[in-house]
Amino acid sequence: MIGIEHYVVVSSILFVLGVLGIFLNRKNVIVILMAIELILLAVNINLVAFSAFLGDLTGQIFAMFVLTVAAGEAAIGLAILVIYFRGRGTIAVDDVNRMKG
Amino acid sequence: MIQVLAFYLFAALTIASATLVIMARNPVHSVLWLIVAFFNAAGLMVLVGAEFIAMLLVIVYVGAVAVLFLFVVMMLDIDFAELRAGFVKNFPLGMLIAVVLAAELVLGIGAYRAGSLELGTPDGSAAPLLGKSNIESIGALLYTKYLFLFESAGIILLVAMIGAIVLTHRERKGTRPQIISKQVRRRPEDATVNVKPEVGQGVQL
Amino acid sequence: MDFAASLKLIAPELLMSVSGLVLLLVSAWVGDKASRAISVAAAVVLGACFFLVAPAVCSGASGPDTLAFGGQFSADAFAGLAKLMIFAAGGAALVIAPAFFERFNAMRAEYPVLILFAVLGMSIMVSARDLITLYIGLELNSLAAYVLAAFLRTDDRSAEAGLKYFVLGALASGILLFGMSLTYGFTGTTSFEGIRVALNGEMAMGALFGLIFMLAGLAFKISAVPFHMWTPDVYEGAPTPVTAFFASAPKVAALALTMRVTLEAFGAQDDAWRQIVIFAAIASIVIGALGAIGQSNLKRLLAYSSINNVGFILIGLAAGTPAGASAMLVYLAIYVAMTVGGFVAVLMLKDENGNSVEAIADIAGLSRTRPALAFCLMLVMFSLAGIPPLFGFWGKFVVFQAAVNAGFVALAAIGIAASVIGAFYYIKVVKVMYFDEPADVVKGESDWAHWALLAISALAISPLGYLLTPWLGNLADKAAAVLFLGV
Repeated sequence: MIGIEHYVVVSSILFVLGVLGIFLNRKNVIVILMAIELILLAVNINLVAFSAFLGDLTGQIFAMFVLTVAAGEAAIGLAILVIYFRGRGTIAVDDVNRMKG
Repeated sequence: MIQVLAFYLFAALTIASATLVIMARNPVHSVLWLIVAFFNAAGLMVLVGAEFIAMLLVIVYVGAVAVLFLFVVMMLDIDFAELRAGFVKNFPLGMLIAVVLAAELVLGIGAYRAGSLELGTPDGSAAPLLGKSNIESIGALLYTKYLFLFESAGIILLVAMIGAIVLTHRERKGTRPQIISKQVRRRPEDATVNVKPEVGQGVQL
Repeated sequence: MDFAASLKLIAPELLMSVSGLVLLLVSAWVGDKASRAISVAAAVVLGACFFLVAPAVCSGASGPDTLAFGGQFSADAFAGLAKLMIFAAGGAALVIAPAFFERFNAMRAEYPVLILFAVLGMSIMVSARDLITLYIGLELNSLAAYVLAAFLRTDDRSAEAGLKYFVLGALASGILLFGMSLTYGFTGTTSFEGIRVALNGEMAMGALFGLIFMLAGLAFKISAVPFHMWTPDVYEGAPTPVTAFFASAPKVAALALTMRVTLEAFGAQDDAWRQIVIFAAIASIVIGALGAIGQSNLKRLLAYSSINNVGFILIGLAAGTPAGASAMLVYLAIYVAMTVGGFVAVLMLKDENGNSVEAIADIAGLSRTRPALAFCLMLVMFSLAGIPPLFGFWGKFVVFQAAVNAGFVALAAIGIAASVIGAFYYIKVVKVMYFDEPADVVKGESDWAHWALLAISALAISPLGYLLTPWLGNLADKAAAVLFLGV
């Protein structure tokens, strides 16, 4: 059987790819949302792998809750994106300099 | 042996398609790569014996979330070329940070070592049931020990539903909605007339 | 623990969820006409929850009798005190909203329902004794908050605030979750108690990474530096009643959660998180004070002030003692009163057409046109700056005292120095109001509910507030003691 460390490496790489995706696609909110889904996928792989190797189902239950919340989060995110698009005609976030920090 | 090969296949495909999600020029392609990534991650989960979560991943993500993404990408008329600007500029720095972060994670957690990681020791209260399938064991826990959280998760979904409707629903002027009570109240006598036209006269309405 | 006893312990949460569902049905049936009535009903529900929680706070409840559902949820005095503040802040957000939204014709019946569910989420958060409970509560609160930030959907700024808040909030949740997954793997459990036992002694590197990721995610939720960038934009763009809500209730919940995670779950490894907390505290104080300089918008100014105040609160956490935790709770209570007062005062600044006035230049000479409002705003500003006769000073004082007693003299000294620098900017606002030529922009009548709320918070932060200190200090001591039972 493959060791737990292989799973941790895969999930770490996925997590980093998600963060990188947010950094690289700063203008494109849709891809940012997908990058967030990748981060959550990394978390789920971690949880399920740990759960299996620990012989403890808590991790799998946790992964189910993460899945549930991720679905709700995607729905809200896309709804906010839609109203943003209606007001602006674009989804580019770099246009967001109406507010300067 | 088969298991090892399957692991490397699924892991490589997951990472490759995740890379393509963030690199693809067209967001529709990104969504499709996301679906591939989820299928392969589900494969990884099946390998460790978590078949229920794996199926959920496919059903919830591919069936609902990815379709929602596709729907929004296609509904909004977006100029994607413009959104790519800045990608090339950020690329070298982004890659550098990513490589450093990944190396730190792998080295830090100690996953590079030859031996297995030292995990914690669970208290055994959530151990899988002997001789029962994965889904049975999860169900036995979810509806007893985790009942409170299960119900709270239901409220989260409700809030997501309210939120999406509150934000995007708008009353449109000039549409002709169905008024059910009016439909139900309507009687045959109001709508039809029985006439007996004479031959050669035509119908008078 | 049997099921009935567990249900009894979550009575406030049950009441909130059931009445939230009922009010949702009412709002679907009657429509937006009923939004004022639903707001009042939701405020009444929060009031009832306040009284359901109060006994546990007064008696200092702790121990196994307060644990529900096998230790996932705890209705102890610490959670209770945090809940009292959250309910009060949530009630304020309900009371001030109708007058604001009706001007834009945007008052909708879902607003009170969403506030109620957000408060429910926070209430679960502060009672969490398990990583999964923590996550569920946090997300219930966050999802409602994203919608509330974008609630004024015809306004571009509101939609933008919602989008920014959502993207950064979801990223922070992801980071927090990754940390929780590592913590779970390397300790073998998700319960705070189990984590504490597992970490007694050596800590695996994986668990340390888990702790760092979790702290990063939590720092975002409390808007501590370096994860504060979203705060000014979101506070400025979100509708003002929602901003008042964001600046008060979720701050209390997230800080209480941070205390639980660090002191309860990772209490045995305080060396590991102390340096991070000290860094975040100093950086938040400095950036909050420096960032306020040059702001021309009152809401942005208050955003930087909240970053600054979070820094001061974190000093108490860095001390890591019961006195420090108790000082944090006292500071939080005062902070809620100051923040609600500040944002209600901003809400009452309107020009003759009823549009909001947010620019600092426009309130010049307010003392001559609206003396009462200017006086209250002055109290809030001086209190935020921590100038002695006002109650805001007391919060800073107890926090510094705890830090000095725990041996962090340098930290307290830096804090005091930075608070003097920060005071400059608040005093400038007062100077503009009292000594500049009247700009004569602020006109219009204010809702009586706004006046009432402003009067209550002004009274609380005035020197009269010191009458409360023995009582407040006693409650905070009892609540803080709960976190140190396992030591």
